[in-house]
Formats: sequence, structure tokens, C-alpha cells
Amino acid sequence: MSVEVGGLTLRGPVLAASGTFGYGTEVPLLERRALAGMVSKGIFLKARAGTAPPRIAETPSGMLNAIGLQGPGVEALVRDYAPLWAAWDFPVLVNINGESASEYGELAARLDGVPGVAGFEINISCPNVEQGGMYFGNDPRAAAAVTEAVRRRTKLPVWVKLTPMVSDIGVIARAVEAAGADALSAVNTFVGMSMDLNAYQPRLSFRTGGLSGPAIRPLAVHLAHQAARAVDIPVVGVGGITRADDALEFLVAGCRAVQVGTATFVNPNAIADVHDGIAEFMARKGFASLDDLPRYLPRD
Amino acid sequence: MFLTDAPLIERRQVARDIWVLGFAAPDIAASVKGGQFVNIGLRGGPLLRRPFSVYRAADDRVEVVLKAVGAGTAQMLAMREGDVASCLGPLGRAFDLPRSAKTVALISGGLGVAPMPLAARDARAAGIHVTWVHGARTGDELCSETDGDEVILATDDGSAGIPGTVVAAAPDADLVLACGPNRMLAAVAQRWPHAQVAVETYMGCGTGVCLGCAVPLTRGGYDRACTEGPVYVAGDIDWRALPSHLSYAVSA
Repeated sequence: MSVEVGGLTLRGPVLAASGTFGYGTEVPLLERRALAGMVSKGIFLKARAGTAPPRIAETPSGMLNAIGLQGPGVEALVRDYAPLWAAWDFPVLVNINGESASEYGELAARLDGVPGVAGFEINISCPNVEQGGMYFGNDPRAAAAVTEAVRRRTKLPVWVKLTPMVSDIGVIARAVEAAGADALSAVNTFVGMSMDLNAYQPRLSFRTGGLSGPAIRPLAVHLAHQAARAVDIPVVGVGGITRADDALEFLVAGCRAVQVGTATFVNPNAIADVHDGIAEFMARKGFASLDDLPRYLPRD
Repeated sequence: MFLTDAPLIERRQVARDIWVLGFAAPDIAASVKGGQFVNIGLRGGPLLRRPFSVYRAADDRVEVVLKAVGAGTAQMLAMREGDVASCLGPLGRAFDLPRSAKTVALISGGLGVAPMPLAARDARAAGIHVTWVHGARTGDELCSETDGDEVILATDDGSAGIPGTVVAAAPDADLVLACGPNRMLAAVAQRWPHAQVAVETYMGCGTGVCLGCAVPLTRGGYDRACTEGPVYVAGDIDWRALPSHLSYAVSA
């Protein structure tokens, strides 16, 4: 079931999504043979404490989170985690974040060539502090600028994780493809809100949070499909996958691979369950390779 | 850490609206220590698991104590014998029972009684004299199981035991272990900064990945109730920054 995605040869189609797999050392009980790759928790140049609690709230078939990209900063990542990754039998992409395009570029430069770092996933859902806090991912020029800033500093694979909070994801997808992205991850969490009816205030201290889980899956399948129709680079589907059938929907919708996220919180072995279910589907339907799986990608 | 489909084998009421459920989970039962928790998920239930301090563990059985406060707990209380729950555990850090201690006070408010039977078991095994100090709003909300140890009860309305709070009713001891509403634990921290407290937070994964169960620390920053906790030294927590209005009151 190996697949080629954005400059990487993966042993299977199922990766661990950023923010749901830590730095790869935390998730217990997973049968790692099934793990095709992982995307690290989002990292900034500097350490970040994260947001005040409550940070999560469960909603129907989903959860809101506002963790605030808590993390140790890039130097601790290079010191504590990259040496472990270098010995692992699957690639680790580092999810990189910044407040300006140049900060993303600096991060890429610092991590380029560090053993254990196989590539990058750019989180463009960050506010651009130099542009009044507008999100990079909502503006094709800003999204392209960030992608270029990273592309110039590394020859490693560069994936860009698209935000769903846009009116036309194809425009952003084409902009970052033109700026040098090797693949797209579609999509990040949806911004949502939930109210505490005892405290008369939002359930999250940050007020809003990113919605993930099965609640967003049809929305994510649609956006991943739109992105896949807009570009020639591979799209990695992500959003609410808990079972093999969910992953197969993204693949049929035009994705080359998938990421499993929130499901891992509930079932530590979710990635292996999804992987095995895809293999079983392929065998049952008589497909020798994932390339044989029919994709629904009308070009009109 | 074990992940097991555990059938319900026991169900009994221990106070008004408060029930103990026992699940067959031999590996967890054999290894869990007082203060640790299990993360329980139900098929067809809410997306996320729910954390429960382990109440008792013996004879291949893990018990938790709960009250119906939301859809998840209501669904658990509707389980019949033989119905299966997915049990992940034991999780988190247990109470630390130094052999130098001669006496321990187990201070609990309401459902905060959850980790105390196991803590009492571990303390007795370490040769420590156990005193339970258990409180609730009213007498009929007091947990009826205290294992034959010395017991001090307190109620807010004075309908049983000493009128007032458990913190006021508690004697000093070499070791103070506490669990209950975060407001109560903040009062514990004032009187005994070295007490060990099991805190209540919302939790996502229970295994240290999601960073959802952040506990604010006096030294700055946050760590994870599920991994560095749920047992903390009371004085290490920044109680003003820890939410005390959570809408479910399951301690873990």
C-alpha cells in the first residue's frame, strides 16, 4: 500500500495529524507498523505556554480545542525529539508556525538538514502579526509568501495545511502550489464556539476553538476534493476520519493519502485500524495498489 | 497501560444519585494505584472518553463512582450487566505515600470520594493510620462506604456529621490527600500547601497527547492533569487560574 506523496515515499496511506500525536512519543498502544508517517505538534521558534483552561469542549460528534500551540520551541525539538525520529522507520514532518513569513523561513532554515526531520507541513492558519492579525491562510498572497519563505530555505518536502475558513479553497491551493508546495493537507479545523449555559460565557477560555472529529468530515471531504481538483500536486485528506471507510471517502474524492487526528484521542490504535481496513477494502475489491483505486475528479 | 473491553459486572448505590459501577478489567485492576484513573468510552456514546478515578480494584474488577451529570454519565448508568465499556488505564500519577508518614487524612467532597478507597488501601498497606474526612451538601449525599477506618463526616446543611466544610472539619495529619471540587481543593491548599490533591479538569485523550487538560502552575505555565497529574502538591497549582465551574463533577 505504499504511496508517493509530495516528495516522500510512504509505506502506507495513513499518517498521524499534527496536534494529535504529540512529538511521536506520547501515544500509547498504537501498532506502529501501520503508521506511514507523522506530522509533529505545531512548533514555533520560541517556547509557548499555551492558552488558559478550559481548552477543550466536546460538541456533537466533535470537539473544540484551543490549546494555543503550546510547545517547547524549535531548539528543544531539535535537542529532545529529532534524534529519536532519526531512528524511526517512518518519516516525521514538522508542523511549522510563525507570526510573519520570515519567521516561518527561519524555522525551516533551522530544521533543514537536522537528522530526523523528513519535511515540513506549514500551518498557514496563524495570524499574520505584521498584517493586523489577518490569517495567512485566508489570503492567497500571504499564503504564497509563507510557502515561498519556507521553500527558499529547504529542499525537503514542503506540505501546506489549508484552512477551511475560506470562501474558495481552490484559490489558496493554487497560490501555494505556484509558490512551491509539494503537497497540501486539507483541511485544518473549523473555527467554532460553544456556550456554557451556567456561566453565560464561552466554554473555552479562548472563546473560540478549532472543531475536529466526525462532525466535520463531510465538510472536509468536500474541501479536500475541491483542493484536489484545483491543483496537480497531491492532496492529503484530513478531517474527522475514524474508520477505513472515512479515509476511503477522502481517497476517492481525490486525495493521495490521509491523516488521522482526533480519533487517536479516543482510540489509541485508530491509525492501525484505519490502515488495516483500507487494506481489507483493497483486497476485497481486487485493487493491487492504491493507484488503482478509482478517483472521482471530474475536470469540468 | 491497557485498553480493554470491560463488561459491567456490578452496580450499587452509595449515596443519593451516586452509583458505583464495577467492570471486569483484570490487567487494570491488578496494576492501578490510588489516585490513578481510567478513561472510559461507550460505543454509540459521546465522542470522547470520560475520565474516572478508580474507586476500588480487586478480584479482576475495577470500580468507578459516578453521578448522572451529562449524556455520557447518563448512558453509563443505563448500562446493564454484561454491557461493555472500553476501558483505558491505569492513567496518571498516583498518590505518593512516603513510609515516614504515620497518619493520613483522606479529605473528600462529594464525588471527590472517588480515589479514596484505593488510597486508603495503599495507605494501610504502607502501615499508615487512615482517617476519612468526607463531606457533602446534605447527609443523603454522603458516600456510605468507608471501609471500617476512622471517619469524620461534614455537611454544608448540618444534616449529618459536623456542620460546615470538610476542610474545617479535618484534623492535621502527617499526610493529607484530598479530592473534590476545585474550590474545596483551593481551601486545602491554603491550610496544607504540601497536601496531595487529585484535580478535576476536562480531558481529551487522557494519555498526554492533546494538551486539553492543562493545569496552571504557580511556577508559571501548564502541565497535563492526565500525565503529570491528576495528583499534585496543592501549593504547586495556581488555583485562581484553574476553572472551578466545570459542568461535570467527575474527579480524575
